[in-house]
Amino acid sequence: MAWWRAMCRRRLSAATVSILRRDLRSCPHLPHGIGFSPPPSRVFSGFVPLSGGHRFAGGLRRIRHLCPFFHSRPWDGSPYSTVSGNGEASACWNCGKPAPPRGPFLSCEACRAVQPVDSSLDYFQIFGLEQRYDMRDENLEGKYKEWQKKLHPDLVHSKSEKEKSHAAEQSARVIDAYRTLSQPLSRALYLLQLAGIHVDEEKIVMDPELLAEMMEIREAVEETNGHKELMKIQCQIQKKLEDWSNIFQEAFNKREFDSAIVATQRMRYYERAVEEIVKKL
Amino acid sequence: MLRAAGKRLLGAGLGYRASPDAVVTAGAARGYHERVVDHYNNPRNVGSFDKNDPTVGTGLVGAPACGDVMKLQIKVDKETGKIVDACFKTFGCGSAIASSSVATEWVKGKQMEDVVSIKNTEIAKHLSLPPVKLHCSMLAEDAIKAAVRDYEAKKANVNGSKEASVGTAEKAANA
Repeated sequence: MAWWRAMCRRRLSAATVSILRRDLRSCPHLPHGIGFSPPPSRVFSGFVPLSGGHRFAGGLRRIRHLCPFFHSRPWDGSPYSTVSGNGEASACWNCGKPAPPRGPFLSCEACRAVQPVDSSLDYFQIFGLEQRYDMRDENLEGKYKEWQKKLHPDLVHSKSEKEKSHAAEQSARVIDAYRTLSQPLSRALYLLQLAGIHVDEEKIVMDPELLAEMMEIREAVEETNGHKELMKIQCQIQKKLEDWSNIFQEAFNKREFDSAIVATQRMRYYERAVEEIVKKL
Repeated sequence: MLRAAGKRLLGAGLGYRASPDAVVTAGAARGYHERVVDHYNNPRNVGSFDKNDPTVGTGLVGAPACGDVMKLQIKVDKETGKIVDACFKTFGCGSAIASSSVATEWVKGKQMEDVVSIKNTEIAKHLSLPPVKLHCSMLAEDAIKAAVRDYEAKKANVNGSKEASVGTAEKAANA
């Protein structure tokens, strides 16, 4: 009888172990710190080994309590959800801690593992900013450096290939985001892109006023050699850039996209002129 | 999928010299085609005509993608409608400068009706422009057309005002 009971338990144990293995793999929300301690570089490999029949029942009860597959159990008081605000499943691939309910999930707070790139996140979301053109008070550079402290590939050189590739892609994306948002023209074009407006860059510009003005400016830059004079011209062009930058902002906010596109064209020409001056200086 | 992307990234970094893309890149890195370099170092017909001169047509065009500006001017013999001289001034990359330089060479000595049929593909072929620089040749084609249009418009204005002044003179005479 005792033999039969032991056999049952062992068989049950084996069956349940395999079910649990399956469940644990499919369950992204394993609460962390309940005595599982999975090794950081492998996923779900460290579930409690159910050894010995005499601990079986207790073990199962403990796991049943902990594994959300059997019944939902809020963790930290917040409801489980497999979906973050960004529309993708979010819990750390490494330790299983759920992503914070708000904000970009680029690296895990708990185990510091770098997460795979979520391309549904736009560049503004990466820095926790509203989709706005005005960036004056946002300390973009500070936020960028904060991210790189967590994501830089140099920090993962001893980790797994998977994490290295996450870090490479994630940090490249953050660099792109920073570069795009820090310059007015690229920020303007990115906003237009997010709004679904396609800017046809192939179309030849024929606006005689703008072109004549640009011709004059470029000729002046070419002929001027003095440092002071060049700085003066640069100042004037920077002012025009600012003016057209404001025109863009107004037009974009009013959703007058044609005017917004014209503003970006102007900005491009002025930026180009500034580049030439800087080269000369 | 991410692992594959990661491998591709690493592969691209390590196997740069070996991959087929690298051959193309090396080709481009060897530099512009010699004709482009020639036109850049020895540009033909750089200069400016007086745009108020009635025999001059001025074409001013720009490329929004790169902020280039191209000015192409033609001097036309009003009796024959033949382009007797041309000049250009371009602020842009080597390909844009070369394209406009070639354009001024090609329009000299031709009839105005003929030059409007010069195609950007011919210019691009002559300079062996890579695909990414095709828009420079497009700019040159449009500059030629704009110059011709400008000349025609000027001519029409001049004729119009001539007729008007003849009309006023007649009125004055009849009055």
